[in-house]
Amino acid sequence: MRLFGGFATAVIAIGVGIVGVSLTSAPAAAQKRGGTLVQITQPEPPTLGSYISTANPVGQVAAKIYDGLLEYDFDLKPLPSLAESWVISDEGKTVTFRLRAGVKFHDGRPFTSADVQFSVMEVLKRVHPRGINTFSEVTAVETPDAQTAVFRLNRPAPYMMAALSGYESPMLPKHVFSQGDIRTHQNANNPIGTGPFKFGEWRRGEFVRLDRNADYWKPGLPYLDRIVVRFIGDTGTRAAALERGEAHVAGFGAVPYNDLRTLERLPNIRIETKGYEMLSPVVELMFNTRKAPFDNVKVRQAISFAIDRKFVIDNIWFGFGKPTNGPISSNFAASGLYTAEVMNYTVADGVERANRLLDEAGFPRRADGTRFDIVHDITPYGEEWRRFGEYTQQALARIGIRSTLRYEDVATWLKRIYTDYDFDVSSNHLFNLADPVLGVHRAFHSRFIRPGTVFVNGVRWSTPQTDDLMDRATIEPDAAKRAALYAEVQKIVVEAAPLAWTHEISFATVLDRRFRDVIVSPLGLFSNFDRAWRE
Amino acid sequence: MSSGSLGGYIVRRLTQTLPVILGVVIVNFLLLQLAPGDLATVLAGEAGGAPKEYIDELRARFGQDQPVYIQLFYYMRNLLVLDLGFSFRLGAPVLDLLLDRLWPTLLLMVATLIVSLGLGIVMGLLAALWVRTWKDTVISVAAIIVYATPLFWVGLMLILVFSIRLNWFPTSGMEDVVAFHEGWDRVVDIAHHLVLPTVTLSLFYLALYARLMRASMLEQRGLDYVVTARAKGQSERKITTRHVFRNALLPVVTMAGVQTGGLLGGSVVLEAIFAWPGLGQLAFQSLFARDYNLLLGIFFLSAVLVVIVNLIVDVIYVFLDPRIRIG
Repeated sequence: MRLFGGFATAVIAIGVGIVGVSLTSAPAAAQKRGGTLVQITQPEPPTLGSYISTANPVGQVAAKIYDGLLEYDFDLKPLPSLAESWVISDEGKTVTFRLRAGVKFHDGRPFTSADVQFSVMEVLKRVHPRGINTFSEVTAVETPDAQTAVFRLNRPAPYMMAALSGYESPMLPKHVFSQGDIRTHQNANNPIGTGPFKFGEWRRGEFVRLDRNADYWKPGLPYLDRIVVRFIGDTGTRAAALERGEAHVAGFGAVPYNDLRTLERLPNIRIETKGYEMLSPVVELMFNTRKAPFDNVKVRQAISFAIDRKFVIDNIWFGFGKPTNGPISSNFAASGLYTAEVMNYTVADGVERANRLLDEAGFPRRADGTRFDIVHDITPYGEEWRRFGEYTQQALARIGIRSTLRYEDVATWLKRIYTDYDFDVSSNHLFNLADPVLGVHRAFHSRFIRPGTVFVNGVRWSTPQTDDLMDRATIEPDAAKRAALYAEVQKIVVEAAPLAWTHEISFATVLDRRFRDVIVSPLGLFSNFDRAWRE
Repeated sequence: MSSGSLGGYIVRRLTQTLPVILGVVIVNFLLLQLAPGDLATVLAGEAGGAPKEYIDELRARFGQDQPVYIQLFYYMRNLLVLDLGFSFRLGAPVLDLLLDRLWPTLLLMVATLIVSLGLGIVMGLLAALWVRTWKDTVISVAAIIVYATPLFWVGLMLILVFSIRLNWFPTSGMEDVVAFHEGWDRVVDIAHHLVLPTVTLSLFYLALYARLMRASMLEQRGLDYVVTARAKGQSERKITTRHVFRNALLPVVTMAGVQTGGLLGGSVVLEAIFAWPGLGQLAFQSLFARDYNLLLGIFFLSAVLVVIVNLIVDVIYVFLDPRIRIG
């Protein structure tokens, strides 16, 4: 049994004991019961069925209602939740979860191993956009008794253990969701889970109201009486509502970066950058690597050299970011999967190097000083992306590439990049998620060159060598060996530069100071707020 | 004019508008087909990526694997029984979604109509009475400034001043989601939340109506019937209130009728600023999400509302100006 090498044993050892710790470690003196927390989520979620839609706003609401088998600490190590303890055996091909007894769904029915079996095999593995990958190796979930769920795997899947939170893999009541078609289930928008908050009401265009679950399995929790999730379309109004204390928490760019610095100065507001460790967005420039001139590695490297990462972070993201060269976020440094030992594009003489590379690549400057023209498709996700596009335009002009910016709506842009491949350069950011298998492979593994599938390998670059390394890392149970495989992957792709990774974004959460212990997990707003309380 | 003929007129007008609404639906349906991207891609995009099988399955579920004319045929057939379809993105029947959002929209619309028409008419009337004095100039200049100021800016400034600085009104929303008032308190609470959006939206229309009313008053005052009335020895006051005012109202009422359609869809910006849960936001979101069932439903409802409002305006004409006959 060596799924995670050294730390797996440790995890299992602390598995049983930790609940006591996590519940009582915080000072018990101050917490108070009661109060309503108003969260701003933008945009309004299309549904509350987090088992079928992984859209960001859905998770921000549904994660308060559904628990998962596990929770995670800030080092992304698993902690017990609905599963009290777990044992990984059979060389990583069997995972046995011991489930907590006495847990009840919001409708009063008990939570048992049958619900785990149903949630994983009938729902997540079939209809969850990411669950289809996460649980692809799971062949069966056996239920020897009501409190035991045994996952049988085809091959080891170390990444699966990182994807069992209530946000990523919610545990659903079988007696509710097994009736009727899961894809159009009427309880999608009337969710019933085991979480600290029960669904109250959803007034479309206005708010979702979540009420305290008095029978929550963590004794004494949650502290809050109610969470109301409000939807406010205008960025200025969102900031105003927070400033006036009408709303108390907002994250994920709901408040634009330029307003964050203003809000930060108010006495009633605090800015928190923790709580995004399990998402780890990395900004990238995508190159259409099957089209000239981007089929030439020197052109791609030149563009990566031309971007002044520090300037971008300081001036466009207002300091909320960290320069990078590669696809894997430094949040994976703790698990060893991140390496800084890759080709470094963050150099002082970047522009000179870029010019030299372009000369070598056979694109000399023409009479007007330019080398060639491109169109840059900007990610349609807000103001900072527009400014990033404008910056890139100027940066590329310095090395003789004349770019035109194109800004389309989300649906049009997605179709252009991931279905028609009708682009030169685009800017984007992909979440690393809980493990590189889930969030990183998709960007440059040949398996993910799939026309019509969005947020995958739109650059259509791959090599048999990197494919093989990633395939081996996927099932490698030994942590050190796995890290070595990823180190090699990072070295190769950063040099080949099918994408130019520029920086990790630090999202920021705006918090009303009256509320405490709101962000206590690497999932931040995607966690259940059971320990949040109001002064 | 008997009530029977009025009823007959209304029925006749409504039958005449049926093809119009039908046309609106068909044209919109076909226009939407031209937009690139579809709901399945958007849903997958919102999910942060999804396998191709998943997207294909979504398309099949939405009926998007069928040819366009078949989709149109099904849509029209369902429309006959007022089945506006299902919003797959929001997981709810379109009709329910529309009805939920209709009343906040109507509330804001009616409040705005009352305030802007009422104040606009009074301002226009006063400006006309004080024509070419400094008071007229003040009213006219104020109207032009308000008319020329962008709606979103006015909205944000009102929030800044009246809710953040003075703390008189809430920034946004339709009711207090911490208190959740009930009964009479709730009515007061909603009215409290209604003030800023109504003022913002009214300012724009108010300026329009004031200018129109002023011009219309001045025009009417020069007409022959006023001279006649004056010759009959009627007092200026009576001439203004009984004759000029009523006739001057006609263009304003016409304009208000036309604007109602715009009020319905044009408050998208306003709804976003004040987080008002109306139809405008719904339309905006459904367009960007390519949620065509929902969007078509909104178009349909808007068309129906515009037709009804214009009918009401035509009926009001009769009461304002007895010379206008229906039939």
